[in-house]
Amino acid sequence: MDQYLVAFITGLTTGGLSCLAVQGGLLASSLERQLEREMLSRPVATGKKKLKALQRSHSRMALPILLFLGAKVAAYTVLGFLLGALGSVLKLNPVTRAVLLILIGLFMVGNALRMFNIHPIFRYFVIEPPKFITRYIRRTSKSEEFVTPLFLGVMTVLIPCGVTQAMMAVAIGTGDPWQAAGLMLAFTLGTSPVFFIVSFLATELGSKMETIFMRVVAVVVLMLGLVSIDSGFTLMGAPSLMNWAQSWMGAAPVAQTAPVSGGSGVLLLNATNDGYSPRILHAMANKSLKLNMITQNTYSCARGFVIPSLNVEQLLPASGRVVIDIPPQPANTVMQFTCSMGMYTGQIIFDLN
Amino acid sequence: MKKMFRILGMHCANCSMRIESIEDDLPGVKEINASYHKGQMVIEYDEKLVMDEQIIAAVKKKGYQAVPV
Repeated sequence: MDQYLVAFITGLTTGGLSCLAVQGGLLASSLERQLEREMLSRPVATGKKKLKALQRSHSRMALPILLFLGAKVAAYTVLGFLLGALGSVLKLNPVTRAVLLILIGLFMVGNALRMFNIHPIFRYFVIEPPKFITRYIRRTSKSEEFVTPLFLGVMTVLIPCGVTQAMMAVAIGTGDPWQAAGLMLAFTLGTSPVFFIVSFLATELGSKMETIFMRVVAVVVLMLGLVSIDSGFTLMGAPSLMNWAQSWMGAAPVAQTAPVSGGSGVLLLNATNDGYSPRILHAMANKSLKLNMITQNTYSCARGFVIPSLNVEQLLPASGRVVIDIPPQPANTVMQFTCSMGMYTGQIIFDLN
Repeated sequence: MKKMFRILGMHCANCSMRIESIEDDLPGVKEINASYHKGQMVIEYDEKLVMDEQIIAAVKKKGYQAVPV
């Protein structure tokens, strides 16, 4: 659930405004024509009458904007499904998923550096749509037909902004069509309120505001990129920098020690919608271990449980218990475990006593 | 004739689309190929109908700065 919330908030805070530059412009140009035509078809009005006529025209603008946004949300959801399907066809094992996460992270970091305008080379981190597509979309936006906003909403999939492209990369990384569709749905829904308000008011961000805003977007994208790179390395079995940062800030996870019964240890590990609990487990060295994974209405990626060093990947049921056998480990072994996306992590420490 | 301009102030790939829309606004302009990656545009126009100053002004109106190369 967390990942959908993150996608929604990303859309709400950064995606909406970053895509407004062109997509909002397309919509506005289409609306302007309609507004203009409507005003011309009315008898000449002055003063209060003119103001009322203008307000009525503006209220009629709500429908095309809603059509545009509805079409956009639907198109991106379908796109998300297709990207997820592409990711699943690629048959991602933890290592390839880790590599993909690292590449996605580098793509995001490169995009953030592009937004900071560090060097023109970073401009190549954003994909430029082919000329025939941009030309076609530009000309269509000038049509006066009522279906135009609907069509333009769908067409926005061809001209995604940097933040949307990053979200599309994350959608591929899920390797699950439904999860990817959900992510893109949450993201585009998140972008809609800002898009609607700004389009409805038919105002544009001043260039100064735009510059400040781009900086904020760049910081967010940079952080998301670094988290993605960290998740990739975690999925490869490296200790998570996020965990390290959390413990450094004093939020140490609760530890649990495995009771030994009949020569093997038993540990309980809850996979919840917020990750794993407890995050640090202690077990006896040189003894086999039964790791009891417990889920209860768990729908987060914590269900995809991975122990990179043992090459274990287990999809847990939404509710239930799954036992994973872990062979004896030498003393002082720190075994990392993670979710399939490298987002939720933890470790089992093998001690002598 | 064809001419190349360096474009300053582009911040996204879609800025090139904004610049290319000058094709529809400025009579005498046949084709514009703007590239965000390269930060430039190549414009094909009829020099009898449009002058460099008009092109620079049209680009400025879109929010960018054009410098002849």
